[in-house]
Amino acid sequence: MSDIDLGELMARAKAFSDLTPEREVLLVNSGDLIRPRLAEVTDSFYQKLASIPKATPFLEGRMESLKATHQQWLNSLFTGPYDENYTAAMYRVGDAHVRVKLPVEFMAGGMCLIQNELARIAGDVHANDAASVVALMSAVNSVLGFTLMVMQESYQSSSLAEELEKFLAITGMSRTLFNNLAVAYRV
Amino acid sequence: MRSDLLTSILSDLNGSSADIEASSVISTDGLMMAAMLPSGLDEDRVGAMGAAMLSLGDRTAQELARGHLEQVLIKGDNGYVLMTHAGNEAVLSVLAKPSARLGLIFLDVKRASEAISKVL
Repeated sequence: MSDIDLGELMARAKAFSDLTPEREVLLVNSGDLIRPRLAEVTDSFYQKLASIPKATPFLEGRMESLKATHQQWLNSLFTGPYDENYTAAMYRVGDAHVRVKLPVEFMAGGMCLIQNELARIAGDVHANDAASVVALMSAVNSVLGFTLMVMQESYQSSSLAEELEKFLAITGMSRTLFNNLAVAYRV
Repeated sequence: MRSDLLTSILSDLNGSSADIEASSVISTDGLMMAAMLPSGLDEDRVGAMGAAMLSLGDRTAQELARGHLEQVLIKGDNGYVLMTHAGNEAVLSVLAKPSARLGLIFLDVKRASEAISKVL
């Protein structure tokens, strides 16, 4: 992770997902309403995952600890700050997913599950106030999009690093030789 | 000083046969140590590619149970590329004409690689 410019990644991901300062404030201000309901999101999330055969190996014997980590992260979505520390933490999550060989589609799919649950809760807490529901879900979508972009960047980077290590091990080429080859052929 | 000695060995090698067009000494990490190459060839690329070929050749020889690698020979329409270890830290790479008498080339290259090994 020492090579990544977290500040640049954070700025780029926030710009793309439209996580504006106003939306960050809205997320924090919505915390009192939403955070008491987050256990529902985690339960629904893991219930859905448990029904997917491909997900089972990643859940066995780890459900409770995974749920606890998941709750902690969901809480952070409604407390902030959405700064370089948060970006670094989400970057590490992407790397962790590569190390356990989690298929890449689980990250985007997982975000969809969370979005659906939070949309339901947003509709509940702002019943009869469509404008507030829209505003809250826009902020939720932005912060989830921002988080996903960071995780995916890390996932891709870690995947490439893993493939490179395999290539170097198979060919017997040293990393230094590989780097010099890359420099010699840099466009 | 060592660079001059290496260049001298390459100069003798190139002069030993009309069939040898160019030669170079490359570190095993792909960096050029000494070269007598025609213009138009990028030294950095020749160095890195030569070391990569020998590294791959080492692994292939092991995997296919051919023993310790002696040399890598590439034959193209326009001639040969011959690469061999020159000690533990360097690779000798030679370009030869398509009509080259390989037996003599192999001998000259063997002698040159031994001389280079002593310098390094």
